[in-house]
Amino acid sequence: MNRIDERVTRCFSNVFPDLPEREIPKASTASLAAWDSVAHVTLLSSIAEEFGLTFELEDYEELVSWPLIVDCIENRTGNA
Amino acid sequence: MTLNQALALVKSGKERGAEKKAHYLVSGFEPLHLKTFIQAHFLQRLPENDIDILNGLYGDFSGNLALAAQSSALGAVAVLEGSDIDPRLGLRSSGGWAEEIKPDILSGADQRLARIERSVAEVARKMPVVFVAPCLPMLPLGNTIRSQSSVMELEIEQRIGSFLLRISRLPGVRIVDRSRLGRIPVEDRLDVRFELLAGFPYTVPFADLMAGAVTEVLYPCPPKKGLITDLDDTLWAGIVGEIGADKVSWQQESHSQAHGLYQQMLGHLASCGVLLAVCSKNEMAAAEAGLSRQDLFLKKESFFPVCANWGPKSLSVGIILRTWNIGEEAVVFVDDSPMELEEVKSAFPGIECREFPRKDPSKLWNLLGELRDLFGKPVIMAEDGLRQTSIRASAMIQEAGESAESSEFLLSLGATVSLDWRLDPSDKRPLELINKTNQFNLNGRRITEGEWQRRIDQPDSVLAVVSYADRFGPLGKVAVVLGRKLGTTVRVAQWVMSCRAFSRRLEHQTLESLFRETSAEALEFDFEPTGKNNPLQEFFRSVGIGADADGTYRISRADFAAQAMVLPHRVIDLRK
Repeated sequence: MNRIDERVTRCFSNVFPDLPEREIPKASTASLAAWDSVAHVTLLSSIAEEFGLTFELEDYEELVSWPLIVDCIENRTGNA
Repeated sequence: MTLNQALALVKSGKERGAEKKAHYLVSGFEPLHLKTFIQAHFLQRLPENDIDILNGLYGDFSGNLALAAQSSALGAVAVLEGSDIDPRLGLRSSGGWAEEIKPDILSGADQRLARIERSVAEVARKMPVVFVAPCLPMLPLGNTIRSQSSVMELEIEQRIGSFLLRISRLPGVRIVDRSRLGRIPVEDRLDVRFELLAGFPYTVPFADLMAGAVTEVLYPCPPKKGLITDLDDTLWAGIVGEIGADKVSWQQESHSQAHGLYQQMLGHLASCGVLLAVCSKNEMAAAEAGLSRQDLFLKKESFFPVCANWGPKSLSVGIILRTWNIGEEAVVFVDDSPMELEEVKSAFPGIECREFPRKDPSKLWNLLGELRDLFGKPVIMAEDGLRQTSIRASAMIQEAGESAESSEFLLSLGATVSLDWRLDPSDKRPLELINKTNQFNLNGRRITEGEWQRRIDQPDSVLAVVSYADRFGPLGKVAVVLGRKLGTTVRVAQWVMSCRAFSRRLEHQTLESLFRETSAEALEFDFEPTGKNNPLQEFFRSVGIGADADGTYRISRADFAAQAMVLPHRVIDLRK
């Protein structure tokens, strides 16, 4: 895991405390029942704060899995 | 606190696996980050517990109050916003802002606020309620520029102000002072993006600030009980032993108003039941002369005891603490000398020491605010006004020496003990006693207002609230026993007695009355040593209450009767 992965994973772990850490990289709105609309907004707020980013309304529609979120952050921070 | 710190705290609370204490967050908006922050702040304040925050449905503030009233929560936080008064005052409405709808908004507001008032009263009968009035900027619908208040805005503010005043008078309701949230300007509180996206109207920093304020109000730190003050260059300007009592000053015309403001603050605290004492390096005669000035902003009698001598101030502070019979952690010491503050602090690390800033008015303003916070409490009770008189009386009894323990002396006091057996949830004094008494305390366990209400609602609860009065005056409600009647046994979960009531055989009278009132054959006690409850442990030893084979602290009716002492009290029982 690189540094971005770890930080995103920590945010996931705080928002989904019952999700085992090894399951986090596979997490998506489709696979995780606890990932409802409230959890989605909380998760993206947590990640936005962690990386000093602002997510637009369309980001909320698109960032629906751990890999998509990590890719998005790598692109925005230039740390791919 | 950042959002991620709050989320991590909430996660750690869950991992702790401790008992969950449920609270209800009532709002018309999606509670989102506010819920997280409140949970995190409560966890910091109640570190031995896990916290659960319940919430209701979006857009139904009144309905959510009703749900809170039906819930098992120990406390409620209600956060009102403009859209709860009328949806057209919120960003997610399309009801229009035309001039002609404003009278309709105002008349609807009256009805909604009246309904909310009734619902708040219903919740407050079950649990404490912290209420937060609208904090967000109004919609820009005034005809005036923003620097000029519009009639509509003033009409709404007036309705909210009047509503808050009414609910603030309901027992169990506490209002968050919105000016304390002013650290974040109004325009930096609203997150329009989040309001439109998720129905959550606050910026993250403002949600954290509000959660912190709510926590302080629902779970305030225990108030301090006594303030010890220096005299020279603190209570007044000048050295009284050098310039004389007529030359020390505290008035605007003498450019010493800072001392006058401090005196007025002390007078205010004394009127709220705070104990005041003097600790000064002075001749006693000089100190007395200064304190006898008729233009002092508080009475000389407000200070007890007055310690004026040339010894280390820590010695005088020790005398004062013994006279008051309270712990150092309940006391604030104010002096203009950092050296004296340090000397006292090294002897009594638990004392809150504050420097009197005689040359910096802005620091004085901060000191006065700090004193309000250190001594503030949700309500003033009758006992607060009796505290100083009863301590003087106790001192007189102590001066009588060993003879004060004799039956003859106690009989001469003409004491009356009242035992109130009624389970009255509106009486907050028993809970206050349980949560601030250390020395005569069965187990040191503190309980929240919600838990208290829950316990006395149990059908088998036994509660005695004990009041005392003698020829020196009333002490008010000074002891509480709370337990449950289980067959022929009363199991006592809580038993505390104020240190002001020591040496009057009140503890014997309490047990005697408990046996009589409940017809119990035995009393069992949830006893735990706390490191501070030696007076209770000594009493247990003196009457033979000890752990039996299964570790239960118990005394039978027969064993207690065998220890019988002369009880020099007239007893009054108050029943439904």
